[in-house]
Amino acid sequence: MTTNINPRLTQVFRFVRCSYANGVAELVYAFDHGEELTERVTFPHAPALPASHQAAFDEALKLLHLIAGVSYYKAGVPPRIEVAGGRLDDATANLLDALYLHGLAEFAYRNGLDLRGRIAFPRGGAAKPEAKALKLPHRTLVPIGGGKDSLVAVEAIKSIGGEATAVWVGNSPLIAACAERTGLPTLNIQRELAPGLFELNRLGAWNGHIPVTAVNSAILAVAAILYGFDSIAFANERSASAATLEYEGQLVNHQWSKGYTFEALLGDWLHQHVAADLDYCSLLRPYSELAVTRTFARLTLYFDAFSSCNRNFKILGPKPADRWCGQCPKCHFVFLALAPFLAKPRLLSIFGRNLLDDENLAAGFDALLEYQDHKPFECVGEGAEARAAMYALSQRSEWQEDALVARFRSEILPQLDEKELAIEPWLQPSPDHRIPSRLQPALAFFG
Amino acid sequence: MKFGGTSVATLPRWQNILELVASRRAEGARVLVVVSALSGITDALKQMCAQEDKGKRIEAAKAIAQRHYDLLDHMQLAVPGTLADRLAELAQLAEDGPSLLGELAWSALVQAHGELMSSALGSAFLTHSGLPTQWVDARDCLSAIALPNQNERTKLLSAMVECKPDPALNARLAEWGEVFITQGFIARESQGRTVLLGRGGSDTSASYFGALLKAQRVEIWTDVAGMFTANPRQVPSARLLQRLDYEEAQEIASTGAKVLHPRCLSPLREPRVPLLIKDTNRPELEGTFIGPEVREHAPSVKAISARKGITLVSMESVGMWQQVGFLADVFANFKQHGLSVDMIGSAETNVTVSLDPTENLLDSDALAALASDLAKVCRVKVIAPCAAITLVGRGMRSMLHTLSSVLAEFGQLRVHMISQSSNNLNLTFVVDENVVDELLPHLHELLITAGALRTDDSALFGPSWQALYGSGEVLPPTASWWRDGRRADLLKLGAEHTPRYVYHLPTVRQQARELKTLAAVDRLHYAVKANTHPAILKALAEEGFGFECVSPGELKAVMAVVPESAPLLFTPNFAPREDYEWALTTRATLSLDSIYQLEHWGEVFRGREIVLRLDLGRGLGHHEKVRTGGSGSKFGLPVEQLDAFLRLADTHGVTVRGLHAHLGSGILDDGHWGEVYGQLASIAERIGSVTFLDIGGGLGVPSHPGEARLDIAALDKVLREVKAAYPHYKLWMEPGRYLVADAGVLLTKVTQTKGKGNGTIRYLGVDTGMNSLIRPALYEAWHEIVNLTRLDEEATALFQVVGPICESGDVLGTDRRLPEPQEGDVMLVAQAGAYGKVMSSPYNLRDEAEEIILE
Repeated sequence: MTTNINPRLTQVFRFVRCSYANGVAELVYAFDHGEELTERVTFPHAPALPASHQAAFDEALKLLHLIAGVSYYKAGVPPRIEVAGGRLDDATANLLDALYLHGLAEFAYRNGLDLRGRIAFPRGGAAKPEAKALKLPHRTLVPIGGGKDSLVAVEAIKSIGGEATAVWVGNSPLIAACAERTGLPTLNIQRELAPGLFELNRLGAWNGHIPVTAVNSAILAVAAILYGFDSIAFANERSASAATLEYEGQLVNHQWSKGYTFEALLGDWLHQHVAADLDYCSLLRPYSELAVTRTFARLTLYFDAFSSCNRNFKILGPKPADRWCGQCPKCHFVFLALAPFLAKPRLLSIFGRNLLDDENLAAGFDALLEYQDHKPFECVGEGAEARAAMYALSQRSEWQEDALVARFRSEILPQLDEKELAIEPWLQPSPDHRIPSRLQPALAFFG
Repeated sequence: MKFGGTSVATLPRWQNILELVASRRAEGARVLVVVSALSGITDALKQMCAQEDKGKRIEAAKAIAQRHYDLLDHMQLAVPGTLADRLAELAQLAEDGPSLLGELAWSALVQAHGELMSSALGSAFLTHSGLPTQWVDARDCLSAIALPNQNERTKLLSAMVECKPDPALNARLAEWGEVFITQGFIARESQGRTVLLGRGGSDTSASYFGALLKAQRVEIWTDVAGMFTANPRQVPSARLLQRLDYEEAQEIASTGAKVLHPRCLSPLREPRVPLLIKDTNRPELEGTFIGPEVREHAPSVKAISARKGITLVSMESVGMWQQVGFLADVFANFKQHGLSVDMIGSAETNVTVSLDPTENLLDSDALAALASDLAKVCRVKVIAPCAAITLVGRGMRSMLHTLSSVLAEFGQLRVHMISQSSNNLNLTFVVDENVVDELLPHLHELLITAGALRTDDSALFGPSWQALYGSGEVLPPTASWWRDGRRADLLKLGAEHTPRYVYHLPTVRQQARELKTLAAVDRLHYAVKANTHPAILKALAEEGFGFECVSPGELKAVMAVVPESAPLLFTPNFAPREDYEWALTTRATLSLDSIYQLEHWGEVFRGREIVLRLDLGRGLGHHEKVRTGGSGSKFGLPVEQLDAFLRLADTHGVTVRGLHAHLGSGILDDGHWGEVYGQLASIAERIGSVTFLDIGGGLGVPSHPGEARLDIAALDKVLREVKAAYPHYKLWMEPGRYLVADAGVLLTKVTQTKGKGNGTIRYLGVDTGMNSLIRPALYEAWHEIVNLTRLDEEATALFQVVGPICESGDVLGTDRRLPEPQEGDVMLVAQAGAYGKVMSSPYNLRDEAEEIILE
């Protein structure tokens, strides 16, 4: 492909068209009058779509087109957004404005951009009538990420005998291995980014974090209608709703699309536009990271398969270092959050090393504790939560001499109020969640 | 003769047993065969024991019976009476369940049936095949003894037998026949109940019988030829150990070797019955012979092993240790929490102990409870995950002086504990577990290089595992151009003048073409620092190579001889600003490797595309000084500074087009580049602009005789796998030494000899040394040295080959076996094509070596 535009100087981002045939959705975008960028999403063994589901499917596909555009839009962040087929109804425009603004907040912060006032999807289109129930089968799509959270969600649903399919997007051998370990039927959807995006990157496109959970959610909404599922159960904790930092008056949350606000926006949108009986929720929403790690600590089955490390391990090896880089905030956080709930040698055998006895990692753990730094741009728990876990370890003889725990005791702890460091309050569920009544008994799994 | 589960599971394997037993019989020996249960049967019996439902138990017993019927069918044999009795008994046990005998006794009896049935079946097969074989019930021969501290479980499921030679049993068997078959794993206790011998039980049974009968020897037939100098899975070049004494073998078995359970050696020690490990599939191999200590061998390290999953408990206290009973109280805590201590290391204020990975340690609160109890009396630190690396060999302390390079290696790691016990058999280092996989092959190599593991003694050390079971090829003595084709030319060149470097261009081309077979690699650059001779540069340009230069001087030398079309890379390290500025005026692709360069000279690079050299945080290679990764090395940008670098790059409009990492030199493990490649690729995914990855060079060239060459086909496979995962990145490499090392030799002449220490140490002097070739002095590099004038004469004496430079380090080779030299003989130092001439110096103002090209 030969494009010679400078993506950062583009004026219009255009949603050109989307289509679906034979299990493949094509999502087409363009900048200005440049070449079309075509993304393909492939749904394996896609069944024929009953006519009764066509309207719902079209709505879901359209939303996928609009949401997946965020990967391309961010390359240039042009001042105007055009959608072929005309203006969006206000609910849709609200959802997208919010998603593009908050989902790209970290991207904007990192690149020194201000997107406020810049993102405006064309609105004012006629609202459609409320979607009807489609009598979708009582089964759940559970997206698997390879980390602890989705595996806890899987086991919670299994514990009530719920019918579920482990689903993931893309080619990750780690996720495939975890999905297989769940024993559930699996569904692997492929997403192929437009090759032109790589070319834009080479030409100096803006780059950075995008709200990938939103994209995956939209893909699963299409899949739910296509294959017949009445629920999509993500595994986003309570802490996903907490902001990473505030920047020039705007809250920046790395995990915005894993947060409760987005869950509610998308869940309501799907009920209105796609199917009244398609539920979108997070099964882990009432829980803190610590409550989830405590539950995960019982699931020995997954100890040698899972990884929450954010390095993309495209090639799997047998050693812990082949799944845990030990350097990234995710590694640090999961290590810290599991530590209060696992025998120390077992935890260390999972990671292959003791991250809390490595002085070089002090800065990384400080950031988790929000000590001298802001929380990292990662899907990690709240600072107070990390402090509670660290405090618990500092009271335990088998941990307290480890370099970073000892440092916590001597340097950080004297500045904290011990009353606020108890772990127990973190283990209490909170009442806010959107889990449909059919799946609510699964919450008993968290004990 | 003992045969394990897989050896008795099929008809062909039984035919194999028949042959082996017949061959021993032919030697005049009476043979007692000890067998395990058919593979999988013991597990099936255990599952049956766990089954509470009677119907399911009966079903399980039927399935187990069927396995034996099927094998008999295959043998075309009817069910023999002995086996029918056993099957009936098993069916009855399934029917009864544990209530009658008690859970443990019932379970032991059920499990014993695996061996009872396989031996009955074997007896029928061997007898039917013309080798009359008597079935012996092991329980009539092996009596379990009661031990203090034994509970019902250990008494029944991991029993011990005391074996004194029993001539009466010998006599009984002699009357009865020539060939016998019996069961491994089982015995009988004083109340007449059947008991099991626990883990490694069948090997132990064989030992018990060997001791009872005071056998000529015990043979353990298994799927590998014996014990090796290291775990072959970790160290493919591990050598077969052909001769060990009981204590050494037991130590090796206890510290890692899986082939033999350590407990099966002690019964043999007193009656001095030797044990031989043999490979069922390759009976022609020597195997490992284990017997009483012999003294005619030089002391040598025999093996290196690693045990993972070790947890250390370090206890710190001032002045307490001397108090009577303090340690006893401390250790009582370990007992109370069910944790057993393995190694102990102590200092005045610290006692550190190691714990093996047990279920109790990993999945209970035992360790937490222990730590909190200990914390009442001392400061406790729990260190894990660790690995214990053990060197085993009789007389370890007398070998310490040979271990300096090995100890230096440990000097770079976090060593938590060193342990050496008074039996002088081992030396153990406890280190972080994650370093072990790479460390072990390296240490094994170092032990050989240092002369601590005396692989030159062919009575002790057999072939390498790789040669026996790897690609299967036994390496021929390396054919070399200087030995075979061009020797006369070299002698003539040497007679004319020395010292001289001679380079053989066809070898350079051959190596280049071999690397070009790496299909995954998109571009190869020759790292010209290895050898900048214009003829070599030209030859490689003709082969389509690019050139990697590290200084303006190298760039100029290359540009003077190679065509405009040849790609150039400029990858300096700590070079001054002017070097970069000048390089930017050339067509070379530039590589940066620190924040400083962008921070301070950012505008120099504005609008440029660069390669970023990363330090992936670990280094590899044959010597500390050739390692170029890890924080101890000055190369590369640490990964944690990557984000800062990218922000600076953005500020200055610099585009990162490629990522580069180079971990070291002389690496012979093909998996290593796959790891570097995969790691670089995963980092590149975070940077939109990257289009190629440069995984450096460091392709090892074997120097010691018998050392395996880097497997280029295997390397290609590894690289292609990574490429399949990351097809959007081009792959570059930068080999240097690999291309030119073997192509060059250094010719020098004998000047004189000298003897010291009553002639026990002999020096052979040559007319050049570290001034021409500094690698032996700098890296302890090993170069083959031959007397070219007397290549066909027998090598009779050991020499230290030294040069004329006034430095005690001016040694080209130590302990080289060479023919008796004469002044003026032409000596050849091999593999001198890389880092030879280019590293030479005018030190002592001796004449520099000339360079000659052979077409």
